[in-house]
Amino acid sequence: MAEAKTRSISFPRYAEYNCAFRYIVEQALDCRYVMPPALTRRTMELGTRYSPDFVCTPFKTILGSMIESLEAGADTLLMTHGLCRLGYYGELAEQILRDLGYQFDFINLSDYDMDKKKEYIRIVRRFNPRVNPARFLAEFMVGLKMVEYLDELTAQYYQNCGFDAMDGAYRRAWQDFLTAMYTAHSRADVENGYRTARRAFQSTRLDKPKRPLRVGIVGEFYTAMDAFSNLEVEQKLADMRVEVHRWMNVTNQFLRYGSGQKNLRVKIRDLCRYDMGPTSTANIWYARECAERGFDGIVHVKSAACTPEIDVMPVLQNISADYKIPVLYLTYDAQTSDVGLMTRLEAFYDMIHMRKKVF
Amino acid sequence: MEHAYLGVDVGSISTKGVIIDKQNHLLASQYIWTQGNPIGAVKELVGLLEGQFDKGAHQIVATGVTGSARKLVGAILGATMVKNEITAHAVGTTTFYPDVRTILEIGGQDSKIILVENGVAVDYAMNTLCAAGTGAFLSSQAKRLGIEVEEIGDYALRSTHPTQIAARCTVFAESDLVHKIQMGHPREDIIAGVCNAVAANYLNNVGKGKKIVSPVVFQGGVSKNKGVVAAFERTLGCEVIVDPNGHLMGAIGAAILARRGGARQAFDFDLVDMDFRTREASCGGCSNHCEIICVYRGDQLIDSWGNRCERGAGAH
Repeated sequence: MAEAKTRSISFPRYAEYNCAFRYIVEQALDCRYVMPPALTRRTMELGTRYSPDFVCTPFKTILGSMIESLEAGADTLLMTHGLCRLGYYGELAEQILRDLGYQFDFINLSDYDMDKKKEYIRIVRRFNPRVNPARFLAEFMVGLKMVEYLDELTAQYYQNCGFDAMDGAYRRAWQDFLTAMYTAHSRADVENGYRTARRAFQSTRLDKPKRPLRVGIVGEFYTAMDAFSNLEVEQKLADMRVEVHRWMNVTNQFLRYGSGQKNLRVKIRDLCRYDMGPTSTANIWYARECAERGFDGIVHVKSAACTPEIDVMPVLQNISADYKIPVLYLTYDAQTSDVGLMTRLEAFYDMIHMRKKVF
Repeated sequence: MEHAYLGVDVGSISTKGVIIDKQNHLLASQYIWTQGNPIGAVKELVGLLEGQFDKGAHQIVATGVTGSARKLVGAILGATMVKNEITAHAVGTTTFYPDVRTILEIGGQDSKIILVENGVAVDYAMNTLCAAGTGAFLSSQAKRLGIEVEEIGDYALRSTHPTQIAARCTVFAESDLVHKIQMGHPREDIIAGVCNAVAANYLNNVGKGKKIVSPVVFQGGVSKNKGVVAAFERTLGCEVIVDPNGHLMGAIGAAILARRGGARQAFDFDLVDMDFRTREASCGGCSNHCEIICVYRGDQLIDSWGNRCERGAGAH
């Protein structure tokens, strides 16, 4: 009887974080998780077809992914809140999906006051009224740990994978780690997967010059992190033998600096006085951090029509002029060809490579 | 026999080719329209270059390819160097103008700005998602006004009172232009207005936030348009250098890069008689349906690309 009532929950594809969503849903909430299929051209076709024209690209991606989740048997969709237009996206996506005739339950975090702890209990009860609070908390923390491990190893991966001297061993270790996270059922699985991957990373011989080219990635929260959406910009740069650094991830943005962004705001007060959106403060701070640490370039990644990130661009131009660091601005829409991106990245690489020899 | 180097730049609108020697002298050069057929254009180009080239005195030992069709053409020509057009333009220009600080480039579909210090590019920008204010806009407006695109410059310079035309976006610029025509503005003034709009659009979009320092070199097909050159000089308040070979600079840069690169591969002109074709295969391995392009010489597959994972490797 209990089985029949168990929800099948899904959350749209978002970089590689779905392994942690799955873990939390299955282990902490004791519900079924429906893994949305990997993002493909079909996802984008679905999303673009049913989205308003001038909405930013992540909405199209998310909507397409939600449709694919529903097709895969999800009966409950979860949507996040947000500090930009993202805050309205849940409502909009729900309306579009209902108009398309899908039957589902929609849990939109924008409907809750996320500043109040009590609200979290209400949300959890809505997923599963019979949830055991002690077990929920313990397993939820394991899920967060998984996010931290994921972010730590992702950062390490993109900084080093371009210098792999062992014929793809680094990449294989990375993929094995992801597989371990996507199939983890317990805290031990998570810890073992993490430790195995770290060991594999450490034992892979790297052929890295003393002063490698270093590039910092800043940009909009979804597109900068999701490899499908940014046409694998990080992998492409890394494959040119570049150390790719990105501060922005769930760990840094929410788990460590969730309310601590005030510090970042103070650090950049000479550059801008207000928060201009969900990620602007962190992006401006990190861009300057890259410049001060002597990076060779900065890549700014955003989707078309992302207003907060457009506001960040003039500040980046000032940083670029003050510190003489080139900034490559990339704007993504629902395009599938990466030819134009390759042209720009190759030129960017040639430039920072030649300029390092001279300056 | 002296060594020579072939450089080819296949753009969306035009196809350019040069053969240079070790001292960067042009031994042969050609500029033709691509007309939506890069393979045909390259075969024609190679045939025309062959006519100008003395095979007894020089031997082509390396080939560089650039432009938006560089991958396809590189496979066909057996290129030793395939480079993006931004690097090719920067290298070509800094070879001939070592003191240059700013390179403006407006081509058929794209436009870019390259900032140079001490002879190396230090920053660049390229138009994204929008081809506003490029050669394609100028040629479609020339067609609308019933003149040849080559004549635009002369018309523009005759104007004494250029019409104001919105510069933000090609679509808006076009409707503004139609409106001004119907209001009765003289043709010279409208054409001069279009040239000003191209320059203003370029500086507002691609050049945004970039410090433009003299000496400025302007190249790409649009640099042949005297009206746009005059508009840039007026707006920037400095001399704008247009090299007589400015439209070939990408091809020259590709040839120089081929010479600098170590790879050597003698080039024959016999590909004019060969049959090249491309085929698009759609991989069914997953719902991404990667479009894989296969290039054949006769019946032999010489290259393919577009595949994003190992599942598509057998699709062609």
